[in-house]
Amino acid sequence: MSSLALSPVLLQLQRQPGPLLPQIQAALAAHGQPLRWAITAVPEPGALQIEAVVLTHGTAAL
Amino acid sequence: MTSSAAPLPTLLVIPTGIGCAVGGYAGDALPAARLLAAASGCLITHPNVMNGAALYWSDQRIHYVEGSSLDRFAAGELVLRPVRRQRVGLLFDAGIEPELRQRHLQVADGCRATLGLDIGPVVTTDAPLDVTLSLGASGASWGRLGRPDALLRAGEQLKDAGATAIAVVARFPDDPDSEALAAYRQGSGVDALAGAEAVISHLLSRHLGLPCAHAPALSPLPLDPDLDPRAAGEELGFTFLPCVLVGLSRAPDLLPAAVAGDAAGAPTLTIDAVGAVIAPAGALGGAAVLACADRGIPLIAVDNPCLLDVSAEALGLPVLPAASYAEAAGLVLALREGVSPAALQRPLPSLSQQL
Repeated sequence: MSSLALSPVLLQLQRQPGPLLPQIQAALAAHGQPLRWAITAVPEPGALQIEAVVLTHGTAAL
Repeated sequence: MTSSAAPLPTLLVIPTGIGCAVGGYAGDALPAARLLAAASGCLITHPNVMNGAALYWSDQRIHYVEGSSLDRFAAGELVLRPVRRQRVGLLFDAGIEPELRQRHLQVADGCRATLGLDIGPVVTTDAPLDVTLSLGASGASWGRLGRPDALLRAGEQLKDAGATAIAVVARFPDDPDSEALAAYRQGSGVDALAGAEAVISHLLSRHLGLPCAHAPALSPLPLDPDLDPRAAGEELGFTFLPCVLVGLSRAPDLLPAAVAGDAAGAPTLTIDAVGAVIAPAGALGGAAVLACADRGIPLIAVDNPCLLDVSAEALGLPVLPAASYAEAAGLVLALREGVSPAALQRPLPSLSQQL
C-alpha cells in the first residue's frame, strides 16, 4: 500500500549563473515534493544552505 | 496615512519559526500588517503574521493566504478570489484528549454565536497525527507528522462535505519545562511549534486547493510573571483557534491560474498586480520573495532581526531598505502614489553623475 512520509532535508547548493529559484527547486525535487523550504545561510558567496521538509511516496503497510 | 490612489497590492512575508523580533511570536506583526494595509489598500499576507491565538484583526483590505499558497501565488500558479465568507470545516487530530477537544468545539461555537462565522462540519482523523518538533541546522523550527495520510483523508472528507476552508487542530507535544519554551515566553527564543504548524497547513492546502490554517492543541501553561507582551496572545485562553477561524472565514479562494479565466467574472488578484513585497532583511531566501524578485517586483527589506542572515547582499538582490515597518509603510505609500523612492533619499545624485 502506498504511504506518505515527511522528511527533513539539508542541502548545500553552489549557485550557478541564472535565476536562483529554478536551481533550488530542481535540487529539492531530487529528494521529494518540497512542502516548505528556505535558504537558511550563505556561508560564502554563491554557496547556499537550504533547509526543507519534503513529501515522499513510499511503499509500506499502513 | 490615507491615499486617493488606487490600491497597490502588496505582499508581506515574515517567515515563521526564525525568531523575528517582529512577527516571531503570537501574531505580533499584526500592527505592522494593519499599517501596511492602510498604506497599500490591499495587503496579502499569511497566518504567521495574523494569528494571535485568542487575538485577531479582521480587515477587508487584508487577504489571509496560507504560506505555501502564497508561494504559489507569487510564482503565478494561483490567483486569489476574494469571497464574502468561507464555510470553515474543523479537522481534529484523533490524538487530542476529550476535554481539550471540547474546549476547541466551544471556541468554534463561540465564533459562530458571537462573530457569525459559518463553521462546520467537524471531522476527526482516523489515526493520531503524531506531530514531532525539531530544529534545523540554522536553529529554525521545523517539524513533521507521522501520519500525513490520516490528515489528507480527513481533509478530503471535509471538502466532500462542503467545507470551503479548513481549520486543523493537531495535538502538539507538551514540554512546559523546556528552556526553549521559557525563552520564547520571555521574548528571546524561536517559536518551536511554528515549523510543524507550517508543514501541516502546507500539506493540506496543496492537496485540497483550499485555504487551510492550523492551531496547535496544548495543555494550559502555568502563569509566567515575566511573560513577554509579544507572546501574551497565546496565554489568554485554552486554545489558539479563534484567530484561525476568523482568518479563514474570509480567506480568498485559491484558483489555479490556468482556469482562473473561467471564474465567472468575479474579481481576482494575480501576481501581475502586485506592486511591492516586504520581507525581513535577513530572511530573503524564501520562495515567495525570490519569485517576486525574479519578476522585478520592488522588494522592501525591513530591519527585523532574526536568527538568519540571508541578506540582499548575500543573494545579489536589489532592495529598498527600511529601518522599520513604519518606514516600509512610507515606501509602499510612495510606490502607490507614484513617487520614486529614490527621490526621498539624500544626497540625490544628478543625472550627469549617473552617466
